[in-house]
Amino acid sequence: MLVVHTMADTDEPAGPPITLIDPIDVSKLNKKFREEIQSMPDGEELSACFACSTCTAACPIANIWEYKPHQLIRMIILGMRDEVLSSEEIWLCLTCFECQERCPQKVRVTDIFFDCKNLAAEEGKVPPNIVGLGKELLEKGQLYTVTADWEREDMGLEPEVPGLSIDPVKEILAETRTKKLVEGGE
Amino acid sequence: MPVYNFYVGCSVPANYPNYEAATIKVAEAFDMQLEYMEGVACCGSPNLRAIDYMGWLTVNARTLAIAEKNGHDIVTPCNGCFASLKDVYHFLKHDDEYRKKVNTVLKKESLEFKGTITPRHFVEALYTDIGVEEIKKKITKPLDGVGIAIHYGCHVLRPVDVTEFRPEFLNELVEATGAKVIEYPLWKQCCGATVLPVNEALAIRLARDKLKSMKEFGAVFITVVCPACGNQLDLQQLGLKESYGEEYGLPVILYPQILGLALGFDEEAVGLSMNRVPADPIIDHLTG
Repeated sequence: MLVVHTMADTDEPAGPPITLIDPIDVSKLNKKFREEIQSMPDGEELSACFACSTCTAACPIANIWEYKPHQLIRMIILGMRDEVLSSEEIWLCLTCFECQERCPQKVRVTDIFFDCKNLAAEEGKVPPNIVGLGKELLEKGQLYTVTADWEREDMGLEPEVPGLSIDPVKEILAETRTKKLVEGGE
Repeated sequence: MPVYNFYVGCSVPANYPNYEAATIKVAEAFDMQLEYMEGVACCGSPNLRAIDYMGWLTVNARTLAIAEKNGHDIVTPCNGCFASLKDVYHFLKHDDEYRKKVNTVLKKESLEFKGTITPRHFVEALYTDIGVEEIKKKITKPLDGVGIAIHYGCHVLRPVDVTEFRPEFLNELVEATGAKVIEYPLWKQCCGATVLPVNEALAIRLARDKLKSMKEFGAVFITVVCPACGNQLDLQQLGLKESYGEEYGLPVILYPQILGLALGFDEEAVGLSMNRVPADPIIDHLTG
């Protein structure tokens, strides 16, 4: 009699099958996260994503990301709020808009990552160097201050920047999140 | 004579006075009247947008509102400032709720964002309001067809529904000087400047990819229209030479510098000596 051996017959399973992908713990999902992002600037198109991964193909640095751009969008839709807001990826985003430009569903991917960074900032999760830039803006009203004024004079320019007024910027940022963030980091 | 609000931001006046001066001189040559904006400072950059959206909106809406009072469009030589202003302009024009919120803050200074003037990149104003044909008429020292790779910078090109900037603008402006625009595969790619504060190694890698691509396809010079991109591509060449012995020898020239030279300005007038990778070899490519 002809015996057909299938692979399943040959090995006795020694234990449960190996899981290649850790399953998502559904009880830990934050189902409001999707709506939260959709209510933020440029977040409306989020749920149009059909996970084609064009954004990931367009991203010049997706190869070093653990969570690729399309995965981050999917994680937002699923409600993986903590994972997204704690991810390093949102801060590595070059803001080059290559992903957003190519999205066939018009999901504003880069803009949505900006929304995510704002939510992370609300929880104080910001890389120290970025907090440092916030501090510069809060205290000096600008990111770069003229130091080599002789270079300006060499070029026939006024040594001080004409019209510059740093106080209004400092005052605005003292009333918004920048101040809270800078003080929280001290 | 067209009049503009001239918004220089923080990086151009602090790090690139040669860019600022060359921009002003080029504008003068075409009767574009640039008036420095009174009472403004930094746009905050994408970093402020990332950590404090409301602060970023308000700071830039304020700049736009001041320009509206003056009644002229804003021009800026910086892609970062352009992106902040144009993005805020675009967003507030379409979002009544945020416009009200922002205007409540601006009211303290008797300012209001209405969306009546447009923020523009200086080179776009040059292209649209003056035009390539007028520019060509004033070229006295054309370049001899030397290969120039244009790095446009992400924040003028994308997202295009916001920036409304076409790469052709800059291509035609560069060609007007007599230079040849080199096509290279990574022309759209980021220079890496934005990621410098969080991951320097990655920023260097991006600059290197870009420089290699330009060099491979025959570039002799690079043209940029942004102080951050300019700094990144110029400075990282020095770093790559020091760390890996890789020498690209690609001078990074701000567009008004090269146009200025083609218009017959001398190299001091456009501050060529302030470029880090020596840019003076471009003098050898001027004819006429």
